[in-house]
Amino acid sequence: MKNHWIVLACCLSLPALAETEHPLLPGYAAQARLENPAFAGFSAERGQALYVAEEQRADKTMSCTTCHTADPRKAGKTPAHRKVEPLAPVANPERFSDAQKVEKWFRRNCDDVFARECTAQEKGDFITWISGLQ
Amino acid sequence: MALALSLAGFSLADDDEHHERQGYKRPKRLAVPSDAPLVWREECAACHMLYAPGLLPADAWREQMRTLADHYGSNASLDPLQEQEILDFLVRAPAANRLPTEPSPTAGEPPRISQTRWFERKHDEVSAAKFARESVGGRFNCVACHRDAERGDFDDDRVKIPR
Ligand code: HEC
Ligand code: HEC
Ligand code: HEC
Repeated sequence: MKNHWIVLACCLSLPALAETEHPLLPGYAAQARLENPAFAGFSAERGQALYVAEEQRADKTMSCTTCHTADPRKAGKTPAHRKVEPLAPVANPERFSDAQKVEKWFRRNCDDVFARECTAQEKGDFITWISGLQ
Repeated sequence: MALALSLAGFSLADDDEHHERQGYKRPKRLAVPSDAPLVWREECAACHMLYAPGLLPADAWREQMRTLADHYGSNASLDPLQEQEILDFLVRAPAANRLPTEPSPTAGEPPRISQTRWFERKHDEVSAAKFARESVGGRFNCVACHRDAERGDFDDDRVKIPR
């Protein structure tokens, strides 16, 4: 009986936790509003969709999962054989703590996969999703 | 003068006499300099092993640094300050490498270490199948067989091709 209460208490407090916004999000929200006056907030579902979206690049299929694996809580590997530490902050607290580093890799990796830059909307969606993973 | 000449002769001989006779050597002084900047150590080892600057002549590095936004099919672009610091290092460090810059056989790619004549010769006994092993990854992944490659150590006594 006691255990049930603990479980309940834990899960009731989850929505409150999820609402503490990631520190990089306000900046991306401001940018997204400039890019699109109809901006209506970020979505974790769209962030996840971006992560698994596949594109044909040259002769291979590319997606974020190519290097970061299907589960971003796990370590991945580049095609040039370097280990990539997990991307999800829950597994690697250093992630998404340095705005310049985040921007640099969005610039590179969105180009590698989609042959373009990602929008502020996409970046915010992505961070919303990945920083919410448990 | 005589002393200087004999010293020079000595340092050439320890390269590789056999190839010396053909007038084409492998690069010398491959050890990574102790004053190598951290930005190079981090940025140039994020996607693959760290390549010792002595492996390519300065002009080849210059070409690589000019084309980072399309770096062997990957976008490896940097912010201008970091790019300048790495470029300065990469054109200064390989002073001992006087080899010609050899273009990559793949059109549109900057020069490769693994596509030079000295690389071919030094690896003429390593089959394509061995380079292609999953545990190796490819010719570019020196560190799979040369354990201390990231320190610039390619001593043939320490070579081991993984299964
Ligand atoms: C070709 C391999 C590759 C692909 C594909 C790839 N990444 Fe990455 N990504 C990396 C590497 C390598 C790093 C840097 C690793 C490190 O810091 O240890 C990185 C780092 C990042 C970072 C920096 C996070 C931080 O704070 O440290 C973000 C953000 C990122 N990737 C997002 C993406 C997204 C979004 C996609 C899909 C559009 C993607 N990546 C696809 C290789 C890749
Ligand atoms: C975003 C990922 C990425 C970053 C960052 C990166 N590289 Fe590369 N590099 C690659 C890929 C991919 C290859 C090709 C590997 C292959 O042959 O499949 C490559 C190949 C190379 C090669 C040729 C290896 C050979 O075959 O001889 C050199 C030299 C090189 N990189 C130098 C650098 C330097 C110097 C830097 C830092 C300014 C750097 N790289 C940063 C992805 C990267
Ligand atoms: C598949 C394994 C493999 C890979 C990958 C590999 N090598 Fe080698 N390397 C060898 C073998 C085997 C030898 C020959 C050793 C001998 O002659 O006994 C060798 C010899 C050499 C030598 C000559 C050593 C000496 O003392 O004369 C150099 C220099 C060298 N490799 C550099 C490289 C560089 C640079 C790379 C990456 C761009 C690389 N190798 C990638 C297996 C490999």
